Amino acid sequence: MCKIQAIKRTFTLFLLIFLSSMVLTGCWDRTEINDLALILAAGMDKGKNNNIELSVLVFIPRPQQSGQGNEMSSGGSSGQSFVRSAEGKTIADAMARLQEALTRKIFWGQSEVILIGDKLAKKGISEQIDFWMRHSEPRIRADVLVAKGKAKTVLKAIPELEKDASIQLRKIVKSHIGVRVTVKDLLQMLSHTSNVAVLPWVENLPPTQMDKKKAIPIIKGAAVFKDGKMVGRLSDKETRGILWPRNEMKTGVITISFTGEEGSISLNLLRSHNKLIPSIKNGKWSMRIKTNADLEVFQNTTEFNLFDPNVIKKAEKKVVYEIEERERLVMTELQKKLNADILGFADEFEKKYPQIWKKNRDQWNEIFPEIAVSFDTKVKIQRTGLADEKHKRGAER
Amino acid sequence: MIEKGRISGLELALIMYATVSATAILYIPYITAQHAKRDLWLSPIWGSLSGFLIVVIIVILSRYFPGKTLIEYCELILGRTIGKIIAFLYLFFLLHDTSIAFREYGEFVESAFLHRTPMLFVTGSIAISCAIAVHGGIQTIGRCAVLFLPIVFVSYVLIYIFLIPDLNLKNMLPIMADGVLPSIKGSLAPHAWLSQYSLMSFLLPLVTKQQKVMKWGIVSVVASVLTMVLMNLGNLFLFGDILINLQFPVFEAARFVSVGSFFEHIESIIIAVWVLGGFIQLSAFFYMVVLGTSQWLKLPSYKPFVLPIGFLIILFSVWTIPSFEDMIRGMGTTVPYYFLTIQLIIPSLLLCVAVIRWKKPKSFMQ
Repeated sequence: MCKIQAIKRTFTLFLLIFLSSMVLTGCWDRTEINDLALILAAGMDKGKNNNIELSVLVFIPRPQQSGQGNEMSSGGSSGQSFVRSAEGKTIADAMARLQEALTRKIFWGQSEVILIGDKLAKKGISEQIDFWMRHSEPRIRADVLVAKGKAKTVLKAIPELEKDASIQLRKIVKSHIGVRVTVKDLLQMLSHTSNVAVLPWVENLPPTQMDKKKAIPIIKGAAVFKDGKMVGRLSDKETRGILWPRNEMKTGVITISFTGEEGSISLNLLRSHNKLIPSIKNGKWSMRIKTNADLEVFQNTTEFNLFDPNVIKKAEKKVVYEIEERERLVMTELQKKLNADILGFADEFEKKYPQIWKKNRDQWNEIFPEIAVSFDTKVKIQRTGLADEKHKRGAER
Repeated sequence: MIEKGRISGLELALIMYATVSATAILYIPYITAQHAKRDLWLSPIWGSLSGFLIVVIIVILSRYFPGKTLIEYCELILGRTIGKIIAFLYLFFLLHDTSIAFREYGEFVESAFLHRTPMLFVTGSIAISCAIAVHGGIQTIGRCAVLFLPIVFVSYVLIYIFLIPDLNLKNMLPIMADGVLPSIKGSLAPHAWLSQYSLMSFLLPLVTKQQKVMKWGIVSVVASVLTMVLMNLGNLFLFGDILINLQFPVFEAARFVSVGSFFEHIESIIIAVWVLGGFIQLSAFFYMVVLGTSQWLKLPSYKPFVLPIGFLIILFSVWTIPSFEDMIRGMGTTVPYYFLTIQLIIPSLLLCVAVIRWKKPKSFMQ
């Protein structure tokens, strides 16, 4: 009896193990790394007849050369990646076309940069963002940027320091020169009532700053979107103005000069913190932009002695003026010209005055230009550097 | 009693926690957000009412009939014929519920990773491994729960710890801008999930220390509700208003993790770990169906039933739900009413009749 049971048990066990090994192989979704075409960056352009042109930067997997950098030093980047593009009615359609010309399966998992050509940006981007959210491969942490001209040409750029355009753009975005917007942020901005968005604007480095005649993409300002369409552009200087209230100001040098004085003082930003404080009083909407910044002196070409507390106070006052001036400049641009609330004022009002907001939600486009914006900036010069001014005044004495 | 194995109070709490929360953390945020919008984190708190009520009813019933499950005392309370019918209804619901749980598991794995693999193979493979656990008895499932759930728990807490720089607490404001109603509407799905605490009746007779079952039951409900609230909050802080567009926000959150630009792409690990929790959940469901069926038929052992019922569950998981969208829509509309009718009304009915017809047991409120 016992023996039969033991045999039965072994049989069942074998059956179960056999069955599970049958189904656990996962043959349907097997993907080998050498069957994948790793996409490093994607570019979207307006194609012919309302089509979308999708360009991808494909990584070429190649074993590292063990020889002492004979290949690496010359050109460095060439041959590590290539750009392909195809047109289609939608991105997915274009992707299918693209797949026809590639021997390996397109894999979006490593794509960290999405570039939008300015023509497409002006036509509208909301419909195209759907692909990046819906498909399960692309990361919603990928950075989104708008390119001057065609996105395809930007992808083709071969930067000197970095391997390809994708790393170049990602690193620049990370350095907080301009705004940083991921797919998630973009969708958040577009889904809000005010329906505005801001994306970093990519331009080529002017040839005067390079020795070779090559195209190197850098970030220069920002593109402003309204209702999913690009409506305007902010210059580099204006972008700095929106970085403060967006709490994205991480690095930067501010140079101030005094009237009736020769020379100027350059200060380096150490840290800054910003807050938007909305208020509605007697039906009047106003916004206070509160900024706290710590700075240190990098260079002083004036005659001032920075050990004098009065001088420091004067300098701080001047820095406050400088910062507010930048912010004021961009605020007039946003309120009067573009009527685009890219600083998220609508969100702040909604959070503080949910009831009033609900009543006035539909009139936001009329309210926004009329909002009285005030500034409350506090600046502290923390350090004056490693040297003082005596080396300059030595001659006078 | 067919089952010889016993579990501790902690194991009871953990098994029930897995049974309720494993799929809740995946599906609850999306479904509640459809109605509750920003107040989605309040919804599980309203939903907890169902959970607490059912735990109290089930525990009191088990005091009336120590050592018996719902299927067994159903007959004692209502008489042989009506008792059998009601017990069959409950059992049939349980089979349906179990197959929905298997389908939920399958749909998630499919839409997140294995797009091409037929669903049958995804659910079938987990069903086979669950069958082995069910064959081993409740003790096996209890030990697995103690072993696996801490890993699952820690990995989910870690996701949101890694995401701290990206969390924006302001996303939850304004709280209750449209009053309390949206969050109550959104609480339908949490009600449905938490009503599954009625399944505790299958496990109560197996607990070693009977005096403490009430405590562990309540602890388990509190843990489930807290998990749902924190998951909803974490997702809200991360995604804000676009949360209503994301079907699996927890999965998206795991994909969003990026620490120092080298610790990224961890979603595969997270899902592999989640499968551990899913395994406990599905084994527990599976076990309850098998145990309930053999008790209904008054059989001496439940083991011959494991494979046939496993087969039936897989069939049901294909038959009962036409598509993913239908499943999601059902969870936000009809399924909660269906769940509550069976799981709240049947036990309350049994309790009412029991209170009228039976004497109060000696060990009543301890």
